[in-house]
Amino acid sequence: MSFAHSPTVLGIETTCDETAAAVVTRDEEGRGRILANEVLSQIAQHAAYGGVVPEIAARAHVESLDLLVARALDRAGIKLRDVDAVAVAAGPGLIGGVMVGLTAAKALALVAGKPLIAVNHLEAHALTARMTDRIAFPYLLLLVSGGHTQLLAVRGVGDFVRLGTTIDDAIGEAFDKTAKMLGLPYPGGPHVEKEAAQGDPARFDLPRPMLARQKPDFSLSGLKTAVRLEAEKLVPLSHTDVADLCAGFQAAIVDVVVDRTRTALRTFRPAAGQAPTALVVAGGVAANEGIRRGLRRLAAEAGLKLVAPPHELCADNGAMIAWAGLERLSLGMIDDLTVAARARWPLDRLAEPSPTGKA
Amino acid sequence: MRVLAIDTALGACSACVVERGAAEAIASETIYMERGHAEELVPLIDRVIARVDTRFEGIDRVVVTIGPGSFTGLRIGLSAARAIALGLEVPVVGVSTLSALIAPALTTEAGRVIAAAIDARHGNVYVQAVAPGGRPLMAPRVATIRDAVRALGSGGISLVGPAAPVVASDAFALGLDARVVDAAPAPDIAWVARLGIAADPADAPARPLYLRPADAKPQDNGRLPRQ
Repeated sequence: MSFAHSPTVLGIETTCDETAAAVVTRDEEGRGRILANEVLSQIAQHAAYGGVVPEIAARAHVESLDLLVARALDRAGIKLRDVDAVAVAAGPGLIGGVMVGLTAAKALALVAGKPLIAVNHLEAHALTARMTDRIAFPYLLLLVSGGHTQLLAVRGVGDFVRLGTTIDDAIGEAFDKTAKMLGLPYPGGPHVEKEAAQGDPARFDLPRPMLARQKPDFSLSGLKTAVRLEAEKLVPLSHTDVADLCAGFQAAIVDVVVDRTRTALRTFRPAAGQAPTALVVAGGVAANEGIRRGLRRLAAEAGLKLVAPPHELCADNGAMIAWAGLERLSLGMIDDLTVAARARWPLDRLAEPSPTGKA
Repeated sequence: MRVLAIDTALGACSACVVERGAAEAIASETIYMERGHAEELVPLIDRVIARVDTRFEGIDRVVVTIGPGSFTGLRIGLSAARAIALGLEVPVVGVSTLSALIAPALTTEAGRVIAAAIDARHGNVYVQAVAPGGRPLMAPRVATIRDAVRALGSGGISLVGPAAPVVASDAFALGLDARVVDAAPAPDIAWVARLGIAADPADAPARPLYLRPADAKPQDNGRLPRQ
């Protein structure tokens, strides 16, 4: 392995409904620099189905991944042989799509004669804050997306302690299901947020599940049901009804997120051996401004810095995979070409399996 | 021209390096397998390439089977092939599994219809047929075994492909002159390479040939009425 002071890694992401490729380099001071970050969303192809269809996702990935890799290398102004490693999300995710990305990455690594780095997609979300803000370990991570809702103590690369998780739906899933019930387009998160901004959060008395529980776990399905029960009393729904239901739903989510994260801050020190250096939020749902505001308040209250990556780095992307690859490469953590795609891949190997697999 | 050919669409994981016009592959490996192609393929390509003096250097084209076959399997081959072509900056061409199954029989089965059949589940096959002389008789399609047999006519029929035996037994039942020429679980990788050498990259894109849409239905249940 021969790389100069600025290692450069190609990152590939195909675990869900974004096909992505990026080139990221790390300078002498350890700062990440994104040279290219190409993302092709498949949202339009899944919208009619009200959610991501695995076979449609896999079909879309194989049609466009190589084009995105070529474009990323092009934008970065480099050739494949110039990268120091090829990093790829090897899971967790929709296995058909993961296999497309992983197989392509292995082939690229083989042709270029460079190491392959199999990255855990969740770890990539978790480490993004180090690329953007150079924060030190350990930190508290709230990972919130369509498939995941977890609070983690991030102690190091590959070293996580799961403090809490959802016992049913992921937060992003709750947003999507609520949106669907209210007739809003897929994916639901941004649409619920937009409606919520015009609504009255106090009109409906919605529950805050798990509030004040000792362990920072989440439960979202009861909230979703409560929204449905309120909505069913009002059908046909007016625009105001929809806006108020969204506002009430989002306010409840924010309260739950802030309470659960506050609880996690209390359990952090025993798990990590020291206080967190920062509170980090990552994952697609981290783009929600209501949640960001709530966490900003909490961080201020706890005397912590809140790190929330820019929106394009919260959603699935290749840059986070490339960065995780850089982190692992610098520690000599590389993989061989036999590595298998993983539908499930918990960050904390010692934690109980999550009840739904959605952690 | 020298090509690297890859096939993972059916019951094998295969790769070979073939020079145009040469009788033998420079290097070739085939492992018959029902599943596990994703883990096996790239290390297998690595082994094949290791037996070529100049390794990837001098590969002018990548060839890959595009299906029909296992959706996951054909995507693995395509992902690898397209990535290798990108890395080498050479063209990549697609070859259908059915064409690759038929190709070797074209010289041995003169005067007969040649049909290739691949199991497509629930009494269906992916099928393609050529008339004597190599003229197209049936374009690649998914059909019930019975419909496939009916479309093959009443003359001599030579069957190839993993589902050749089941098609043959239906043909026998109708009193047809059918014989199974080869029921190997996957095409001979050297023939995949030869068809790829003969193909025009403009007419043979390395894109999946599923023959079936994705199994998905629009979901509208649970949506509440709005004003």
